[in-house]
Amino acid sequence: MEREPIVTFANWGNYTIAFKVLFESLGIRVVLPEKTNPQAILEGAKISPEMFCFPFKVNLGNYLSAIRNGANTIFMVTATGGSCRLRYYAVTQDKILKESGEKVNFIILDQGVRDIFLKVKKFSQKSIWQILRAAKLCLEMLFFIEKIEKKAAFLRPREIKKGKTDLVFSEAIKKLEKVKKEKDFKKVQKEILEEFSKIEIQKISNLPKVGIVGEIYTVCDPGVNFEIEKKLGREGIEVHKEITLSYHLSKKFLFVDWRIQRKIKKYLGSTVGGHGRDAIYEMLKYVKKGFDGVIQLLPAFCMPETTVRPILEKIHQETGIPFLSLSFDEEVAEAGIDTRLEAFVDVVKNYHESKKS
Amino acid sequence: MKIGIPQALIYWKRPFFWETFFQELGFDVLLSPKTNKEIIEVGTKISDPETCFSNKVYFGHLKWLEGKVDLVFVPRLKTNQEKLEYCPKFFGLPDLAKILLKTKILTQEFDEKKKSFQQSIIELGEKLKRKEKETRKALEKALFQEGILKEKAKEHFFEKIHSERKKIVLISHPYNLYDEFTNLRVKERLEKLNIEPIFIDEVPSSPLQGQAFAIQFHWEFGKEMMEKIEEVLKYPLSGAIQISSFACGCDAVLKEFVEKSFKEKNIPFLYLIIDEHTGEAGFQTRLEAFVDTL
Repeated sequence: MEREPIVTFANWGNYTIAFKVLFESLGIRVVLPEKTNPQAILEGAKISPEMFCFPFKVNLGNYLSAIRNGANTIFMVTATGGSCRLRYYAVTQDKILKESGEKVNFIILDQGVRDIFLKVKKFSQKSIWQILRAAKLCLEMLFFIEKIEKKAAFLRPREIKKGKTDLVFSEAIKKLEKVKKEKDFKKVQKEILEEFSKIEIQKISNLPKVGIVGEIYTVCDPGVNFEIEKKLGREGIEVHKEITLSYHLSKKFLFVDWRIQRKIKKYLGSTVGGHGRDAIYEMLKYVKKGFDGVIQLLPAFCMPETTVRPILEKIHQETGIPFLSLSFDEEVAEAGIDTRLEAFVDVVKNYHESKKS
Repeated sequence: MKIGIPQALIYWKRPFFWETFFQELGFDVLLSPKTNKEIIEVGTKISDPETCFSNKVYFGHLKWLEGKVDLVFVPRLKTNQEKLEYCPKFFGLPDLAKILLKTKILTQEFDEKKKSFQQSIIELGEKLKRKEKETRKALEKALFQEGILKEKAKEHFFEKIHSERKKIVLISHPYNLYDEFTNLRVKERLEKLNIEPIFIDEVPSSPLQGQAFAIQFHWEFGKEMMEKIEEVLKYPLSGAIQISSFACGCDAVLKEFVEKSFKEKNIPFLYLIIDEHTGEAGFQTRLEAFVDTL
């Protein structure tokens, strides 16, 4: 007898709910993995190859928790055309899950509109029109999540009642999670924005600013990077990040890579896979805009990011902008990251003060 | 004018090719010495802590050349003839070399998706102020030299495969196989244990029907290795050893599939990781234990 497909996918910060809505609006049952936590990470790392990069292990941990809750079909996007290991995530994960005895249907999506469309269509047996509408809702939700993330980053260092922004933000995510139809989404959107506008803030224009660069998964998943954005925000630092999913999607269309390559020619003459070039480009931009610090987040042994790190360090030496590089894997403890972050915050604040005088 | 070539990493992709080429063009060539302890120490110190061991060794060689030559040759290898990519860590090497060294870097991009190898070589010749004709001639000579070597390797393989001793195939990248210091003289150690080690490099590759593999690699070494493994499995083997540099990103993927193809045939498989801290005693023990199980 054919099982009813219950879909799951890797957890990726707040974006997860946008992926969920894509499937649910097509009438497919979804089981979400647990939010990335140390337990899930350890479980994933246990069955992963030792030297594989960190997101791979987290993904596996996510799948396992979802499989326990009844999921039997996994969707995973692969980066065909990229130069780094992400390209082999899906194949290797499929192999490992099968070897450890899980009976799951692993569906591999290429990073191309056509391939994703065809595979989702075949899987859901829905009309083109329905799929387009689901995709539209998914994208809209994605952009909305990014919008409120940005809003929160702006409000956090300015809020009068400490912790209010985070409260509103987590409420907002909970509300979005319940959305299943386009109609509800509009209503919820309005409610959330209203809540945000109620947060009282101090009017300060000249806050210390920190830019986050690095590997997209680590930057965008607070479960992996120990909520670094929140922590910096609470210390009174305005956090900016450019590397988001919508940025990555836009790269496919607008010759972004070509423009970036021209700007960073002095430092790097070629792609190094992943978002290596983008990190350099963004750091240069932050320097130009007068930021007070740059943080690079990467999974340990990430090939593109470790290649560009000496270059980022060189920019740091040339310009004097405070720079911190944090790499994450299953053995990194939150306390260690906190200590380094605290020290860095002091450096950033001093740098900010010294620029004033 | 003197050109320095670090004898590590990408050098072993085409040994003797580059030095013959530059010599034919009328330059003095200085190769960095065989890897030694000092080079590894320097390399580990100056490179990023999370980059792979082989890269660290390469940077050590680069540093050794600093000040001893007029130009250091660091090519940017991107894609090969089959339009398959090299390791992404190679893409950034010239830029990282520029940061590390005060000596001028001579570089040339080899991306056969955009330009043929010959064209890139001629461009390289132009950078050195040599005419196209001269460059072509030098290229021919270098290719000829390389061809002789390849022939030799093939003969070597057939000699070894018909040997009476137990045969173990060593799977790794050329820069781990041929650099005796980094791989702790694994060849010599195995020979002492009365084993015939066969380098995966020596196996003549047989271009296979593409669909034979579970996975299609976009890395040139990945495809080559899988092909050669398929070929070597046709002969009687006692075991297989894969050697990886610590933090090698590509091997993390490769190992899964290499291991699988041997396990399917019930051939014992040993996975060894080398880095700057690898101790000789531990290495020897593992090799001996493995040989005993055969």
